Amino acid sequence: MQDHSVVIQELDFRYGSSPALKNINLEIPAHGVTAFIGPSGCGKSTLLRCINRMNDEIAIAKITRGSIHINGIDIHDRSVDVVKLRRDVGMVFQKSNPFPRSIYENVAYGIRLRGEKNKAVIDQSVQEALEAAALWDEAKDRLDESALGLSGGQQQRLCIARTLAVKPQIVLMDEPCSALDPIATAKVEDLIFQLKSDYTFVIVTHSMQQAARVSDKTAFFYMGELIEFGDTARIFSNPTVKKTEEYITGRFG
Amino acid sequence: MNSSPHILRDFDNAIAAFKSEVLAMAAKARHNLERAVQALMERNSELANSVIADDDDVDDYERSIDQHGMDILVKYHPMATDLRLVVSSMKISMNLERISDHAVNIAKRAKKISATPELSEVNLIEPLYTLADHLLRDAISSYSDGNSALGASLHTRDKELDRMHKQTTAHFASRMEEAQGRCQEYLHLIFIVRSLERVGDLSSNIGEDAVYLEHAKDIRHKSTLEREMSGEE
Repeated sequence: MQDHSVVIQELDFRYGSSPALKNINLEIPAHGVTAFIGPSGCGKSTLLRCINRMNDEIAIAKITRGSIHINGIDIHDRSVDVVKLRRDVGMVFQKSNPFPRSIYENVAYGIRLRGEKNKAVIDQSVQEALEAAALWDEAKDRLDESALGLSGGQQQRLCIARTLAVKPQIVLMDEPCSALDPIATAKVEDLIFQLKSDYTFVIVTHSMQQAARVSDKTAFFYMGELIEFGDTARIFSNPTVKKTEEYITGRFG
Repeated sequence: MNSSPHILRDFDNAIAAFKSEVLAMAAKARHNLERAVQALMERNSELANSVIADDDDVDDYERSIDQHGMDILVKYHPMATDLRLVVSSMKISMNLERISDHAVNIAKRAKKISATPELSEVNLIEPLYTLADHLLRDAISSYSDGNSALGASLHTRDKELDRMHKQTTAHFASRMEEAQGRCQEYLHLIFIVRSLERVGDLSSNIGEDAVYLEHAKDIRHKSTLEREMSGEE
């Protein structure tokens, strides 16, 4: 039996009176990359944010039906600590958002928050996270410099390092390369490829090519519904649903 | 196949022009084959020479289709049906180029046979040509009309051409032994029959590409039984 990190069942979600997700059923496999694609407003980012309960912060947002289980645990169960959930399910955003602190502090912050006080352990964890994010070689001699002095691509990799530093199981990425040039994009994609055996990635992207390159599974959403989900190679060469075919071939709307 | 227009109209224009080019190449290759066999039947060396010369046009088509296919891949990153159209068209163009090469082989041998006294058994070639031409015609239709059932049917129909090939080759081989002074001409006829048999195989390949284009199913190298069991024939 395949190990599913995230199991979403019969999920309905609303912003106020507007339904944003309708009856979503999806099993995201562990240790792989799942891409969410679809036109703007289709609900893909909303669903991504449901996975670590980021939507809890939005007053009018509400799950009205269904459930999300991570490793068999209902994430809306009363016993679930949301802070721990967000540590286990890290998130990288569209726009890189490093803290206005040093490179070192950006990565060390989450480690300290986790309760680690030993300087040597924190140093080691910072180095490991920066190495995992393929930023160590570029940053090791300027750890005390401001993170804001890094290039856009480096800042995004720093955000990935910051996410990895707290040892998550799942990494959610909301259009992580939309503001990056092709070289920086390739570095982030290579990073995903290198790390996917240790983490479960869920990536929202508007780039069909990126979804085709980095993901193992692809889910296509349209107007709040999951239209098709399957192996990426099949979705992009032979989708079974006409709507998916129309979207990925650019014959839409 | 996608019938609704692409958001980027330039893409639709590029795809339409690309497909037209493949169909023009197909028409040219088929015409070359027809004229090669006509040159054989009518002992017309001039016509045979023009078939040999016109093969350059088919080679040009193949190069141009490869280039335009690459351009579309680089420029538009086509997906799904569009991607399959580019890939299968490039493969079909390769098969058409080989068919035209066989037309040239037939034309070259037709010239040599024309230079010798008339041989009535040349007429035995005609039914093989007729079947090979029908297979080629239907292969082209299966691609142009998106008719995958027609494309899948070619594999079985090609078996009849294989049977005729064996039978006619055996006949010419036995005649070689009997009429020893005309060995060379019968050998030419055996190679002509072989070329027509290959045209059937290549047409069957085109039919398989048409099936892939429509349904993303790879039916190459499958036996008739396997095809029947999976509902492809």
